[in-house]
Amino acid sequence: MTKLIVRRVFWTIPVLLLVILLTFVMMRQISGNPFRRSERAIPAEIQANLEAQYGLDDPWYIQYLRYVKGVATFDLGPSLVLRNQTVNDIVRDHFPKSLELGALAFLFAIVFGIPLGVIAALKANSWLDYFTMFFSNVGFAVPSFLVATLLIYFFSLEWDLGFPTSGWSTWQSKVLPVIALGLGPMAYFARLVRGTMLETLQADYIRTARAKGLRWRRVVGVHVLRNSLIPVVTAAGPLLGFLITGSFVIEQIFAIPGIGRYYVTAVTARDYSVVMGLTVLLSVIIIFANLVVDILYGFLDPRTRDVRT
Amino acid sequence: MSTSAREHEVLAPRPTIEPGASGDAGAPIQQTNLWKDAWYRYIRNRGAFVAGVVFGMLVLYCFIYPLLSPYDPDKVDFSLSNQSPSLEHLLGTDRFGRDLLTRTALGGQISIGIGFAATLVILLVGVTYGSISGFVGGHLDNGMMRFLDALYGLPYLPFAIITLAIFGTVNFWTMVIALSIATWFTTARIVRGQIITLKENDYVRAAKALGARWYRVLARHLLPNTLGVLIIAIFLELPGVILGEAFLSFIGLGISPPDASWGAMASDGRVVYRTYPYQIIIPSVAIATLVMCANFIADGLRDAFDPRTRET
Repeated sequence: MTKLIVRRVFWTIPVLLLVILLTFVMMRQISGNPFRRSERAIPAEIQANLEAQYGLDDPWYIQYLRYVKGVATFDLGPSLVLRNQTVNDIVRDHFPKSLELGALAFLFAIVFGIPLGVIAALKANSWLDYFTMFFSNVGFAVPSFLVATLLIYFFSLEWDLGFPTSGWSTWQSKVLPVIALGLGPMAYFARLVRGTMLETLQADYIRTARAKGLRWRRVVGVHVLRNSLIPVVTAAGPLLGFLITGSFVIEQIFAIPGIGRYYVTAVTARDYSVVMGLTVLLSVIIIFANLVVDILYGFLDPRTRDVRT
Repeated sequence: MSTSAREHEVLAPRPTIEPGASGDAGAPIQQTNLWKDAWYRYIRNRGAFVAGVVFGMLVLYCFIYPLLSPYDPDKVDFSLSNQSPSLEHLLGTDRFGRDLLTRTALGGQISIGIGFAATLVILLVGVTYGSISGFVGGHLDNGMMRFLDALYGLPYLPFAIITLAIFGTVNFWTMVIALSIATWFTTARIVRGQIITLKENDYVRAAKALGARWYRVLARHLLPNTLGVLIIAIFLELPGVILGEAFLSFIGLGISPPDASWGAMASDGRVVYRTYPYQIIIPSVAIATLVMCANFIADGLRDAFDPRTRET
């Protein structure tokens, strides 16, 4: 197991280098130079000075290595548009809000999604099951911008329940964005848990557990649940990507000053060092989440330990 | 040489399902094949069948209704702006007075078109990558899969946005590329897995033993047997791509007015959601319907092609 962890941890280094390289190469393909805007003619000397200042006149691999070094030392470089801000400043200002939003939405999805799936599986083919599954199928398909808009329309405007339509400060302002972002993952969890539980319920060891006279509640609690929740851990990785994608939209709608909203602003302002920095940041988060998931999976399901050598 | 090729063609068994296993007792045993069988299993699945019908109707509406509609989807008439749904305008009009029933169909053409085109690109790249990896095997397979592992789970939206920035313009095809650039990994994995499993089958060994060249084995025995998986993959990928288009257009980085797509229309409707909520609800419901149907179709197809996975 230790060997697996060490191996897996070291494996993230080439992965990080590769992902940064790909992002770097892609960003370089974007035509135009931030200092060569059509609106503002800059004398050639100043242009050259600026490029030298930001190291843009070096060959690409030097720039890449410098960038990797920057990432390794948690320095994502300067913003090209906001001259007095670094990408680090922007991350420090915006990331905590996105992190909180994502974490709360994830928590919401787990707290409501897993019980829904469990109930649906235990009462399989009852009206409760059908209702839950219909609900989660709809929840999984409805785009989050409609959910967000409807929540605002009813909860903050029509019924005036005291939830603000935008912002991210009081707990009331966090309720609607969290639900809007978490509904899709919640539906996903409910479906996933129901599916794996139905499968587990038919396993031989469940029959054995029942046959030896174990109380049903204990069978479900100890044997069924534990084995059904393993896929939930595996799903957490892709789900993080889902949350990030969703946060772009949700932060826009609720005017939450987070990473997703700032990303769109930076793209529109062609602040490419910020775009690059944020893309790398999001990728690094996902890579580390995958690392944690893989290691957890190794603990939860001993069979995977041998395979993944 | 030619005789051996003919021989292995004859020897290679066609994929068949044992007949009579689920048929009525006493009925004459009919010749059946994988496709026919899958089709019967599919239409017997009520949810998947209904989803397929609704999906088909939605697509037909999008592509046929604009031809029949009495309204010009691009004609601006401010005397008709923001009319709620009525008998003349079943889905109402937008703030430029354009008939939303017509415009939703037009937006659907773009959304569905981008969805299918991007799915096709995803499949093409995925099949190429996956079949090379699975077929060649060895170190190449290992390396190619490690590469996929590295990219697995990366958020597709930032990369789609960067891709659009590289192109510098947003149109149908740049959207297609942007939406497929970071989404083909799963398909590649599925195809590779399928090829690896198939490679060990006796009929493939037989074909090889009879002297079939590698491209013949690949083209005649391996790839045709991934078709079932690929058809499922279409409907697995489609929802993500459709939602991706909607998200991109909604945050203003995708399709933008005067062109219509469901995401762009929702973005328009969002501006007036307080007074005219139907303007964001209509395109969103269209998206949700399509996505939900695709999910059901994918589930139904999976059960139809592989009865072992059928849920109780």
